[in-house]
Amino acid sequence: MENKIGIINYGVAGNIASVKKTIDRAGGSSIIVDNPKDFELIDKVVIPGVGSFKDAMLELKNDNFLEPLLNFDRPILGICLGMQIMAKLGYEYGKTDGMGMIDGQVKRIACSENVPHIGFKKIKVTAPNILLNDIEEEEFYFMHSFEILDCKSITSITQYGNHTFVSSICKSDIFGVQFHPEKSRDAGIKLFKNFIEI
Amino acid sequence: MSTRIIAKLDVKPPFVVKPIHFEGLRIMGTPSKLAKKYYDQGADELYYIDIVSSLYQREILFNELEAVASNLFIPLAAGGGVKSIDDFSKMIHIGADKVVINTHAIQKDPSIIDKAAKIFGSQAVVINIEAKRWKSFYECYTDCGREQTHKNVLEWSKEVESRGAGEILLQSVDMDGTCKGFELDLASEVVSISNIPVVVASGAGSIEDILKLIEVANPSGVAIASLLHYDKTTIYDIKNVINSHLVV
Repeated sequence: MENKIGIINYGVAGNIASVKKTIDRAGGSSIIVDNPKDFELIDKVVIPGVGSFKDAMLELKNDNFLEPLLNFDRPILGICLGMQIMAKLGYEYGKTDGMGMIDGQVKRIACSENVPHIGFKKIKVTAPNILLNDIEEEEFYFMHSFEILDCKSITSITQYGNHTFVSSICKSDIFGVQFHPEKSRDAGIKLFKNFIEI
Repeated sequence: MSTRIIAKLDVKPPFVVKPIHFEGLRIMGTPSKLAKKYYDQGADELYYIDIVSSLYQREILFNELEAVASNLFIPLAAGGGVKSIDDFSKMIHIGADKVVINTHAIQKDPSIIDKAAKIFGSQAVVINIEAKRWKSFYECYTDCGREQTHKNVLEWSKEVESRGAGEILLQSVDMDGTCKGFELDLASEVVSISNIPVVVASGAGSIEDILKLIEVANPSGVAIASLLHYDKTTIYDIKNVINSHLVV
């Protein structure tokens, strides 16, 4: 197996270039997935995410990416919005069904601090797993207005003022991170190395 | 410490320049070299602003931005001459995480903020406010501090927030490039009425100025240019001093 990582290119909003260059820096081999047919060429998938829940789901559907993603039986990594849309339900610009790969719903961060939450923050690993290997207590870059709630597959949490939110999840081969590893210096490169080695 | 320390590159392609009061440009180096330098110093983020794009009414030069993005593993906010959703999309695709907009949003079409926030998420929409004191209030300027808008900075801050902007970059036409300290009243007022992060720029002449800004206004981030370009200090040193002074 070549261990080729496919980065889903959906819609106008994804920051695919940043993700690709970080995977390359981590020593991985990646391609941009523009077409559902490209799924034949890849062994792992990254769903990047910049945008809104509703538009992201719409774009995945219109580009015919939903079915191959739901049927994909190898490691998947969702980043930020890419993680959020793995949940069952989202509440950004109305109520939208997510991909339903994991439990939970995605709602606007409700806390006394400023939203969006932006900046480098430590993660606290609550359930060690292969993706977070050797990166306990590292700082990662967050940039989000929404968070995942009622999720049972939590692997780390992060503190924002008095508020605690889910910073990563894992359910068998399905991984998700609320932060942006592609924007998190060496800690992010390390996370991609872990993903490459799964 | 949670205050983000951000390096700001004012770019007149192909160089980073540093104006004083947004006038009289001096060449500081190339964007890629300085971006790498500040990344290595520990910058939390980088702001890349093409300061003449709107003024000259020319197309955005994406190649310059791409070169900066290619070696950066921290967030990059980019702007200058942004006029359409397509500009947002192109910038994000080549590696910007946030897009900074001023002139077009305030002069032509504020609804671009709503549209961009819906498509890219609020966190990707940064409003650049170029404030200049006029009598008892602050007025928004555009085109690199050239054009008056008659808009009150505080009212515009509230408006962009309600339209879905995710961050304000607050610059001061009076203080920018002077190294005489931040416009503290302006910073305090905008930070206190905003529920979104405010990054304050313009005027840092020493680490003490930055400390004072954090103590008085406590912004989400501080953007620094001259102080770093002239090697008066490093981001590493700034962070160390802040950490030792502001122990919680």
